[in-house]
Amino acid sequence: MADDALVSPDPANSEAPAGPVLEVRGLCVDYGLGAEAVRAVTDADLVLRRGEVLGIAGESGSGKSTLAYALTRLLRAPGVITGGDVVFHSRSAETGQVTEVDLLAADAHQLRRYRWSEIAVVFQSAMHALNPVARVENQLTDVLRVHRPEMSAEQRRARAVEMLRMVGINADRLRSYPHELSGGMRQRVMIAMALILQPQIVIMDEPTTALDVVTQREILEELMALRDKLGFAVIFITHDLSLLIELADSIAIMYAGRIVERARAAELFHAPRHPYSLGLLSSFPSLHGERVRMEGIPGSPPSLAAMPDGCKFHPRCPYAMDRCRTQEPPLTRPADEGGDRVTACWLQDGRQDPPEPLARVFPLLATPAAPRPGDLSRSTS
Amino acid sequence: MSVVGVATAEPAGTGARRRKSRITKSPKIVVGAAILAFFVFIAIFGPTLAPHSASWQASNSSAFAQPPSAKFWLGTDRQQHDILSQVLAGGRSTMVIAFVAGIVASVLSILFGVTAGYIGGLVDDVLSIIANIFLALPGLLILMVVMKPLPAGDTDNPILIGSVIALTAWAYGARVLRAQTLALRDQDYVESARIIGERRPRIIVSEILPNLLPILASSFIFTVIYGIGIYVVLSILGIINPAQASWGTMIQNAQGASAMISNDWWWYAPPALCVALLGIGLALLNFGIDEIVNPRVRSRKGSRRGVRFQLGLTPVVRADRSPNSDVPAPVMEGES
Amino acid sequence: MRAILRRLAFYVLAAWSAVTLNFFLPRMLPGSALQAVLSSIRSAPITPDELHALEAEYGSGGKGLMSQYATYISNLLHGDLGTSTSKSVPVTQVLGADLPWTIGLIGTATVIAFVLGTFLGVIAGWRRGGLLDTLLPVATFFQAIPYYILAFLLLMTMGYLWQWFPLAGGYDITRDSTVEPGWNTGFIGSVADHGVLPVLTIVLASIAGWILGMRNVMITTMDEDYVLVAAAKGLPRWRVVWVAARNAILPSISSLALSVSLIVTGSIVTEIVFSYPGLGLAINNATLDADYPLMQGILLCVTFAVLAVNFLADIVYVILDPRARREA
Repeated sequence: MADDALVSPDPANSEAPAGPVLEVRGLCVDYGLGAEAVRAVTDADLVLRRGEVLGIAGESGSGKSTLAYALTRLLRAPGVITGGDVVFHSRSAETGQVTEVDLLAADAHQLRRYRWSEIAVVFQSAMHALNPVARVENQLTDVLRVHRPEMSAEQRRARAVEMLRMVGINADRLRSYPHELSGGMRQRVMIAMALILQPQIVIMDEPTTALDVVTQREILEELMALRDKLGFAVIFITHDLSLLIELADSIAIMYAGRIVERARAAELFHAPRHPYSLGLLSSFPSLHGERVRMEGIPGSPPSLAAMPDGCKFHPRCPYAMDRCRTQEPPLTRPADEGGDRVTACWLQDGRQDPPEPLARVFPLLATPAAPRPGDLSRSTS
Repeated sequence: MSVVGVATAEPAGTGARRRKSRITKSPKIVVGAAILAFFVFIAIFGPTLAPHSASWQASNSSAFAQPPSAKFWLGTDRQQHDILSQVLAGGRSTMVIAFVAGIVASVLSILFGVTAGYIGGLVDDVLSIIANIFLALPGLLILMVVMKPLPAGDTDNPILIGSVIALTAWAYGARVLRAQTLALRDQDYVESARIIGERRPRIIVSEILPNLLPILASSFIFTVIYGIGIYVVLSILGIINPAQASWGTMIQNAQGASAMISNDWWWYAPPALCVALLGIGLALLNFGIDEIVNPRVRSRKGSRRGVRFQLGLTPVVRADRSPNSDVPAPVMEGES
Repeated sequence: MRAILRRLAFYVLAAWSAVTLNFFLPRMLPGSALQAVLSSIRSAPITPDELHALEAEYGSGGKGLMSQYATYISNLLHGDLGTSTSKSVPVTQVLGADLPWTIGLIGTATVIAFVLGTFLGVIAGWRRGGLLDTLLPVATFFQAIPYYILAFLLLMTMGYLWQWFPLAGGYDITRDSTVEPGWNTGFIGSVADHGVLPVLTIVLASIAGWILGMRNVMITTMDEDYVLVAAAKGLPRWRVVWVAARNAILPSISSLALSVSLIVTGSIVTEIVFSYPGLGLAINNATLDADYPLMQGILLCVTFAVLAVNFLADIVYVILDPRARREA
């Protein structure tokens, strides 16, 4: 969050966006069945465009991981998807033709076809995500055996070596076991593993949380370089919003199982529309500038079993109105705005003027005078 | 024998109340405890309840075992002893010895296992080697060799016999306790106790031991089952010849008199069934305790309302109504 | 490799402990064992030589304890385990005749119980709440019954009542048997026929432990991320199960060594019930005859065998788990 230069808007982002590769409409996920079920995700709407990085940020328990795993039906028991649609727009590499696949209606056989070859997942802890009794080579080539049966053993091996080189690992590591590698190397192996079939979508669940900051940086930079080279779309889940500001094209903020704001990264950083987003952005200290008083967000997230009425954020919101206590705001475009950013807040419905921090205008042209992070916290006091 | 997989535990006391209600609701524990209570009752009150003394003989003349009748509910053996009386009296020595074995083995396994796990280092190495040696030696054989030369009077001493049996059984519990102590030692609340300056024995007793209770209970029961089996076998083989009738000696007498061939089932079936039933009751208790300690392992109904949970295939159940409506549903996690 | 060498050193130590224990036990028991031996073989005439031998063995026949021990160890290393007092042949001869039967019995039974048990355990762990979960109490039931009773039950029902299988012996040695020991189908068939009930006893009594153990570890293993990764990779279902099972079997192999002790105990009892001509029956008879040299010889032999199996299991474990190959 320190370097202002990184947050200036990228001119490339203002071109016409690419077509969607994954559409999520009204997704609902419960834990458990019947009367004792607890709703973990409510009415999630997302659009992931081809080649784009979509970040999903939220506190622990906000439902972001649940959402990510539910997308490809990898959610563990007792998770149940209880509503909505997830449509994968699969584009054939040879013909360029796009097929729409309803992931929620797919059976095991169909799912297996698209898994990993089109949609791959990078898990949080590589130590736990790698099979401790299998060699690295084996873990890279098993998907080749299944999804590319026409490849020979030498071809598979060659491809594995190629992937390892791409992430900066020596080929002699093929014969290693996971416990013989360092933390950063393990994560790189995971990334190589995920990209080996050149999927169209890569879902990353806090891929660098378990690493130290320096390694984190390296790996993320390599990741983004690979993304530029191979062109896959990324869903990046994290609790660290500052990472997303740098990496993501679009960001969705989740709270209490709901998406409360969705916007382009720069838009969100400079001109948030939801009080929770504002609170999150104010939580990062700046490395430069004067000392400022840090504002957190008082209170804690509600338990899934005891949700407040109305807007789920209202107990912690500094701008809560009467309406917020009883009616839940829908996720819509803020009043008087173009573009396709959305937010779930009554302050933006046009009936009143939103408070100044939530009404900033984000210029669409390149390099305005970007506000210093310190400005945000000062103006909310 | 089960693989215990609990690596984290709460500071003593927090889970106790929750566990108590689960204890009373689990059918395995209830049935197992009931069976055990029944046999403990017999062990204590058996001889007084028996219609005759175990060594009483109905007559000296007849040499035929009499089948069950109104006079002798379980019939008699060849020497005209009342089987029912023998069964009622025979439980005592078996249970006493098995419990003594269980207690001695538990004490030994705590001494070796917890100490080795907590202190570590050389102490751990030495104690572990000793335990592993005992673990590898086949218990029954050693007992056979050791007990055979013992004079008859000593075999009457339940403490002695129980202790000797315990010597072959403690190593398993010690190994499990050591593993668990190792895991617990690094828990935060133990660490903080250490920092505060609590003395080592006190930490072991007040922080670690309470969390080891479920495993201790489980290995105690396991040792008792083992003790019963060993004692019965040793009796049947004639290595132990206590003065009073025990279930094991009853079976031995029956075998010696070829009761199987002459089809005197009432002679050998009751003691055999008693042993089997007691073993089952204890095993049920063990199973039940295991389920409480390791909730993931509980038998759970796989498909509720037709929804099957399978790894990698999250089910899609589209509800017509909101989840907070009053749809009657079966119990969430069935205790089956 | 170092891990294996350490284990080997341990087993040598354990073997030596067993040998030493074997030596000192009879000499340390109250009321010297010599008296016990003498009093129980009063029926058979003892030659003065045998008496001297027995005295040298168990009493204070002139030599000091330490030199007795030295003689004992040197005899052991030469393969001399003494002479059986009940059969008047070298102990090693008796061992040689009986050991194959016991190995055959325990080996067959353990392999069947382990393979079948872990297989069922994998299925029970993968499909929670299926048919298999109802089988569990049944299996536990069999496990809780002492070996003797179980062997007995099988003998009475399948052997005596229904006459499916023979009642005793390793092979047909009845008067009108035409079976000759050797590698012929008649013999092998007879051995198999006589082996069913003893093997079945051991399998029934021990399989519950394997099933339950494997099931519980499977359940814990399936919660690991790498199993979910296998599913996320779109691998066929059997491969996903294999990833989990391949990891879950490791604790079972550790406990294999442990349960060998228990199985040995059980098989002794089983052999006695079925009069199976193995070491179990031999030691039972030796006990009845107070044949101490034979008893001790069998004890040593069995102990070494158990240690050998443990060592083998350790080797298999190191092969299967690459993490164990680290210098500890």
